[in-house]
Amino acid sequence: METEQVNPQMRVQLSTSQLDIVLPERNRSILVNTNLRRYGLSSLVNTLLGNEKPIPFDFLINGIFLRSSLDDYLTQHAISSETTLKLEYVKAAIPPIHLASF
Amino acid sequence: LTNLGPPSPSSTTRSLPSALALWNYHSSTTHPLSLILTEQLRLILSPTHATKMRGDFRTGKRLNIKRIIPYIASDYRRDKIWMRRAIPSKRTYQIMLALDDSQSMASLSSGSGSGDSGGGSGAENLAFETLALVSQSLRMLEAGELCILGFGERVTVAHPFDIPFTDHAGGAVFQHFTFRQRRTDMLQLVRESVALFRAARRSNGAAATNGAEIWQLEVIISDGVCEEHAAIGRLVRQAMEERIMIVFVIVDSHQPPTTINTRAGRNEEAKGTSIVDMQTAVFEADDDEGEKKLKVRRYLDGFPFGYYVVVGDVRELPGVLSQALRGWFGEVVEGGG
Ligand SMILES: [Mg+2]
Repeated sequence: METEQVNPQMRVQLSTSQLDIVLPERNRSILVNTNLRRYGLSSLVNTLLGNEKPIPFDFLINGIFLRSSLDDYLTQHAISSETTLKLEYVKAAIPPIHLASF
Repeated sequence: LTNLGPPSPSSTTRSLPSALALWNYHSSTTHPLSLILTEQLRLILSPTHATKMRGDFRTGKRLNIKRIIPYIASDYRRDKIWMRRAIPSKRTYQIMLALDDSQSMASLSSGSGSGDSGGGSGAENLAFETLALVSQSLRMLEAGELCILGFGERVTVAHPFDIPFTDHAGGAVFQHFTFRQRRTDMLQLVRESVALFRAARRSNGAAATNGAEIWQLEVIISDGVCEEHAAIGRLVRQAMEERIMIVFVIVDSHQPPTTINTRAGRNEEAKGTSIVDMQTAVFEADDDEGEKKLKVRRYLDGFPFGYYVVVGDVRELPGVLSQALRGWFGEVVEGGG
């Protein structure tokens, strides 16, 4: 028997409050592997937006920044991958120096 | 207050009286539909090829052209060159219904997952309606034995092949489903189904004594979300070689309603997240450097079950299910003559 790596998949619902990076409706709900973390999710949103130059994104679940894999998040919060996770994405915080120049 | 809706299917453990009430509710509301399905299945499942000529015999009604050359080449020794009118052999069916008991079934139309108290979600009700409808039709058809499985983290036999399926048995079956299992192990379901079918074929004494052919059919009722597609695909092909047919009914409460009557619990947010449009993100190795790149594709494009139908409303079920079965019988009966 060959062994195949099992990556549980789960539905995520992507949303944002920043109008310039809103996804088309049909791309907002998607099945992803639970081993994804911020970087993977960020490139996913860039792919879905069709961005040629990727923008770094941060992700929030219930208002808290995601700093682990989805899998770890699920374990920590005793949620199963059978549920649909609501993920809010925002442009990753700009370093303070740039902010100061505004 | 009049009792219009179904009894709540979301309780943690279902008592037998409430399971029976749930069964009675769903089997009576789907009764007209199950009559339609029964009639369609009767046409599909009963043998109809009485007039076909087949076989290799020393005497018969018509020559088998394919046998002529070997006949001459063998110095007229391989002389089974005749075909006879085939008598349709009796068929008996062993039919398995497998219902997805995982959490995703309950959280489908509520969007946020848990916290859905009472009433039950669209997918749950659709799953129960489907189970009641299909099992009632098969019972009316008296085509053979019926078995019902639940699956998720593990596979459970909610009703075994060797016990007659009565209304009481139907109610007892509903006791097994709470849609709370925290995984959907589809690979395990297919593997164990095949094992159960093999055992059932061996132990079917009735068919052995009256010389009936045993046909085996599994109907999986699920939201369709599962992993390990490649491994499942191999098992499905292997099952097909053993004449075990698997039809997958994807219950999809996000499908647009077919009539003006909208199902309760369908909201704006649920729109556009139908399994039909659902995409999946996978990291795949690129050709050149073997570097993993993110690809987004349609989920159903990699779906491992060849015969699947997507049902958004129970009223569509008789039509689409019989269409899928007709397709399979066409392939197996015509292909394996
Ligand atoms: Mg599931």
